[in-house]
Amino acid sequence: MSDGLRRRDFLKVVGVGGAGATVAGCSTDKVERLIPYVVPPEEITPGVATWYASTCGECASGCGIRVRTREGRAVMIEGNPDHPVSRGGLCSRGVSALQGLYNPDRVATPLRAGADGFEAITWDEALALLAERMGTGGRSLFLTGRKGTTEATLLNSFVEAVGGDRVIHDPLDDPALRRAVEIAFGVAALPRYDIAAADFLVSFGADFLETWVSPVRFAADFAEMHAVDHGEKGTFVFVGPRLSLTGQNADEWIPARAGAEANIALALAGELVRRGGDAGPYSEMVSRYTLEDAAQQAGIEAEALAGLADRFAEGSALALGPGFANHHGGATAANLAVLILNVAAGSLGRTLHIDAVPETEASSYRAVADAITAMNSGTYGVVAVSGTNPVYSLPPVSGFRDAFTAVPFKVAFATTLDETAALADLVLPDAHPLESWGDSDAAPGTYAVRQPVTRPLPMYDSRPMADVLLETGRNLGHDGFGAATFHEYLRAANAAWLEEFGAGMGITGDPDTLWRELLRNGSSSYPVELSQVTALQAPTTAVDFGAPSLRGDGDFTLLVHPSPRFGDGTHSNRPWLQELPDPVSKVMWQSWVEMNPATAERLGLRTGHMVNVATEHGTAELRVWAYPGIREDAVAIAMGGGHTEYGRFANGNGVNPMAMLPVAVDGTSGTLALVSTRATIDATGAWRRLATTEGSSDQDDRNVTPAVALSALGHAAAAEEHDAHGQIRELNEAGGFQRVETEGRAEDFPLPGSDFGEYAEDHPRWAMAIDLDKCTGCGACVTACQAENNIPWVGENQALMGREMHWLRLERYYETVDASHAGTLDIRFLPMLCQHCNNAPCEPVCPVFAAYHTPDGLNAQAYNRCVGTRYCANNCPYKVRVFNWYRYTSENIPEPMNWQFNPDVTVRDNGVMEKCTFCVQRIREAGNRAALEGREVRDGEVRPACQTVCPAEVIAFGNVKDPDSRVAALARDERSYRVLDAFINTQPAVHYLKKVTHHDVDEGGH
Amino acid sequence: MATADLTRRGALPNPDVRKYEDVNKAVLKVLSRPGKGWWTLFSIAVAGVGVFLVSWFYQIYKGIGVSGLNAPVGWGVYITTFVFWVGIAHSGTLISAILFLFRAPWRQAIYRASEAMTVFAVMTAGLFPLIHVGRVWHAYWLVPYPNSRFLWPNFRSPLVWDVFAITTYFTVSAVFFYLGTIPDLAAARDHARGLRQKFYRVISLGWRGTDREWHHFSKAYIYLAALATPLVLSVHSVVSWDFAMAIVPGWHTTIFAPYFVAGAIFSGVALVITLAVPMRKFFGLEEYLTVKHFEAMAKLCLLTSMIVLYAYMTEYFLAWYSGEPPERGSFWNRVFGHYWWANWIMLTCNGLVPLMLWFKRVRRSIAALFVISIFINIGMWFERFVIIVTSLSHEYEPWAWGLYRPSVVEMGILLGSFAWFGFWFLLFTRLLPPVAIAEMKEVVPPPRRGKGAS
Repeated sequence: MSDGLRRRDFLKVVGVGGAGATVAGCSTDKVERLIPYVVPPEEITPGVATWYASTCGECASGCGIRVRTREGRAVMIEGNPDHPVSRGGLCSRGVSALQGLYNPDRVATPLRAGADGFEAITWDEALALLAERMGTGGRSLFLTGRKGTTEATLLNSFVEAVGGDRVIHDPLDDPALRRAVEIAFGVAALPRYDIAAADFLVSFGADFLETWVSPVRFAADFAEMHAVDHGEKGTFVFVGPRLSLTGQNADEWIPARAGAEANIALALAGELVRRGGDAGPYSEMVSRYTLEDAAQQAGIEAEALAGLADRFAEGSALALGPGFANHHGGATAANLAVLILNVAAGSLGRTLHIDAVPETEASSYRAVADAITAMNSGTYGVVAVSGTNPVYSLPPVSGFRDAFTAVPFKVAFATTLDETAALADLVLPDAHPLESWGDSDAAPGTYAVRQPVTRPLPMYDSRPMADVLLETGRNLGHDGFGAATFHEYLRAANAAWLEEFGAGMGITGDPDTLWRELLRNGSSSYPVELSQVTALQAPTTAVDFGAPSLRGDGDFTLLVHPSPRFGDGTHSNRPWLQELPDPVSKVMWQSWVEMNPATAERLGLRTGHMVNVATEHGTAELRVWAYPGIREDAVAIAMGGGHTEYGRFANGNGVNPMAMLPVAVDGTSGTLALVSTRATIDATGAWRRLATTEGSSDQDDRNVTPAVALSALGHAAAAEEHDAHGQIRELNEAGGFQRVETEGRAEDFPLPGSDFGEYAEDHPRWAMAIDLDKCTGCGACVTACQAENNIPWVGENQALMGREMHWLRLERYYETVDASHAGTLDIRFLPMLCQHCNNAPCEPVCPVFAAYHTPDGLNAQAYNRCVGTRYCANNCPYKVRVFNWYRYTSENIPEPMNWQFNPDVTVRDNGVMEKCTFCVQRIREAGNRAALEGREVRDGEVRPACQTVCPAEVIAFGNVKDPDSRVAALARDERSYRVLDAFINTQPAVHYLKKVTHHDVDEGGH
Repeated sequence: MATADLTRRGALPNPDVRKYEDVNKAVLKVLSRPGKGWWTLFSIAVAGVGVFLVSWFYQIYKGIGVSGLNAPVGWGVYITTFVFWVGIAHSGTLISAILFLFRAPWRQAIYRASEAMTVFAVMTAGLFPLIHVGRVWHAYWLVPYPNSRFLWPNFRSPLVWDVFAITTYFTVSAVFFYLGTIPDLAAARDHARGLRQKFYRVISLGWRGTDREWHHFSKAYIYLAALATPLVLSVHSVVSWDFAMAIVPGWHTTIFAPYFVAGAIFSGVALVITLAVPMRKFFGLEEYLTVKHFEAMAKLCLLTSMIVLYAYMTEYFLAWYSGEPPERGSFWNRVFGHYWWANWIMLTCNGLVPLMLWFKRVRRSIAALFVISIFINIGMWFERFVIIVTSLSHEYEPWAWGLYRPSVVEMGILLGSFAWFGFWFLLFTRLLPPVAIAEMKEVVPPPRRGKGAS
């Protein structure tokens, strides 16, 4: 062998080295970071979505979710149909978790408070500081929200180990109800309601479809109970001073004065006892209450209550409430009264179940108040805050802010800064629930796991609180937790549980396999025999059922209620939710004060007038929104506005009504009362526009959302014969789906006169059916649509101009709303999206064929071809086309929110018209999959985003040309109709099923 | 043709004008060096064009969102102004072509100015579809041009018809306008000196005024008049179909084509009056633009005003008679809804104020006509605003009803469009003979019978 490098070797080295340098030069760090793999890359096929089952971490309900990831990024959240709590549904807040994950205002590094605000420090410094202060800084207080099962266990053991206290603060918890259950049944737990099993449902103000306890599950149950089925339909009565979204779904409204719930419930119970019902130890007490007195106190007619008593006596009834929005100084008593009513009506064990399992993750304002006192007295050297924002969500007069500020060392575990974290000495960036492990047992016999669906976002150096606790525990010398990471801790807890109970429940198998199975399904159910309480116990605590007194001397009861969009304000920094029209008021980005139109008229006000709402503790300037669904002696303000330190989308929008409340506490349970004060209203004389989507809430004789009386069902054919417009009807029904089997069968497509490319015979005809009898108007579909289709938000100023971009909107029409008398309530919801008309008015007017018809009947929009004449939008009778007036997508959506973009959907630019596509990307995906597998697309295989989250299963989608498909069956239903079709023969592909009412309705001439 | 005959038909041989040379002198005097007044007006116009262009480019840069347009009102001031200018463009061709064919000699004095007005109005109108689209850089897609991907415009769309209608109308009216000026340009050439003479020499195409040239000229003129005549009816019919072919309540009516044509002539004649009155005064053309001419135009205004008023009433009646709630709701909203003021401006200016023209004294008062014509101009702009905006704001779906407020940018472009029009018109008054010299000579009492008369 010769010395040195031979020529061949030299060439090899140069070649390989050059190629290597080239490759290395191409793959920069950035490219690597673009694809954050959570699972090994071989499981990811670029272009094919990977789904993870997990548990929603947005509120304590613990709904099951499925997260769609593309190339490692979470792009969409849907409900998990296998999950026993949510059963496939989800709410807007759940979908918007993506905007929590990709929020641009997340804390990027640990922050230490210095003289000039926060300074960034490293995790090592932060952990050292934390360990030092926790070790030597005095007693610790952990102020947290309600946590998942195992995380709570860890937290509690940590608190115990370091020698501290834990206080839970969650404004969306119902401690008064828990306490009432404890008094009535001896178990401190929330009851388990079986709404689906009830025929007659009364809510004493509980907003169970929005924020109360477990709204997604309740929405599904309510749909089951309330939607018409084989000619039967449950009745829902709402009792309370203000119609929340839940109230808007009622068949009857008893507009009782705030605070009258206890008397009404007890009087009803008394009436039932007189008729032979049994209220156990309370029988004698309730029989002293009369309907007349209760009615008088509530300011309503006694006959209405007598009618209620009749129906409670009839059978399977359930009373709910009063819910935290109606909690006053006697909240526990009111809850207890409703529980007594349930027992007297025989609901216990049928629709109301009390499991003998006490809950530990229970909040209480009294504990917070004690903590405030303790902080003031210098008991605590360290206060840690996680998952709760008391500076914002408590009334300022509680003194929390000052007490908290005075604590020597405050540490906040926070994904984004909030009003509380902003006051902390150390802010530790917490991982988002979509990035971290956790679990939940939201229903008995269920264990649900939360797994990370994406690698923690690289621009935010976050760590899950549980991991930080474990590490801090080690730093402090507590090794009793037995795990290095929370993932190990969770696995260990799971294994321990299996070991202890698994065999007894017949769960066998390798723990790793079972764990993988759990991760795949998101949850597992196990057979569990829960002992149930079956009778009331004698009261051990004296409870005063009297009506509470309100503070202040204004003319109006101030009703402060959680927002269906923001809850207690936790979700305010999410533009999807800010721009989601409030399900009740349809207002975006702003706060408003609800006022009865009669009140407004008396004060000389109209919607949009600015008024000062004042209590003893504060004043807020708000726009008036005249709402017939509120009593004349009350005004209402939603929580969630008025943030000051929560991020760019929340700060400065609206007002925080908590700032106006006194601290009024229900003495029995320690609940902070939201109905506690009167307010005065003073007009400022100014008028400002309300950013609302509401054009008119009156159908103006167009009958866009007709209803049918329950008694008229089954007689529709006879009614049609007498229709004066019989001939027009026949013509209209020549398109889309045929009700008359003999003429215009599915195989008759294409229809004569419509063969301008609208159809191809060998293609399916995609269609949708929307059951308005089930729709609760919650708006989850709107947010899901926005998430799936890369729909930008436009902001308050553009929303004021009517330029919101939603492809799907929820219209709400008042038919019968009367706040001065108890009686029938009829409010109609109409989800309005592109109707994909067979005879689409938008298509012929487009000069460049940007709007055209696909062979499978979709009304498509070629964005790149659009010139932006907006003629199609003018000619769309449904007004479902939206226009990109600016570069909303590129200008409004900051990094990393654009990481959420669905890569299957084009991002639209300035000057282009866009609209609902029936989620064409999902149709094509299913079609491609079917083609690869050599089969037809199955019925139900294509599920548009709006359908996947709907908790009430309102929406069905499929091929209407297939007579066996579900959508075809629904289109054949006697309740089926198509909006405006009778006027303009557009032949939409969206078939609506009329709402069914208990009262007679005028079905209209069209 | 005897003078008596011409007189009977409305042309008044002006007793003050005795010689053909006077005509030349009086008209060509206008083409001399402009005075302070003209320069002032021209500066204002140039400034206005500046505003126009700045507003437009700002809109292109930022997005069409700088307008006040929204959902449901996707068309607003831009399309309103488009239709307004298209309407204005009608009277020119009506006066020059149709009245030429109908042998109404009173047209001679005013037709040049109104033709110029036509051309400039179409030039203005033609910009608005471009201003209004979301992606103006792709607007050429509306033109059918061969391309490798076989992409064609949608010939079912009235907007494509618009492209054809407007471009055809512009071409024909521009050619007609230019053809008519050739003999006068030759007169100007003979009168001018220096650079101006060179300019007129080129554009007068070597006109010598021979019998043979006059023969060809009058044949060509009459054929072009015949060609332009149907366009007067077709262009605004097509523009009206932008609305009538849509299903929007308030747009979807069969009456729209004749209604729009009548409205167009109405507004066009009104603007001719508005422009002719100051022109007559500043350029000392009182002898040529006489009260008789104005009275004839006033009568035309009155006639078209009656047609338009009839159309308004028909719309209201049919909306009620249809029994359709959206249709009824749309018109109820027009009269009593949020935009009631626009509707009442329209009815007052177009229906009530012109009723004064029934009085001969009013018709013969130049001042009164000037004021009334301004009313009509305003009223006709509001007519289009009412049709477009109120209909769109109150369509089928009650939930989607909404309001529209024009933005500053839209107002800048609206006012700028008048400046743009004025810019061209002011140039016209100084560069081209604003009164048809050759044709005026036809109605001057003949020292001897002239050449080439009809």
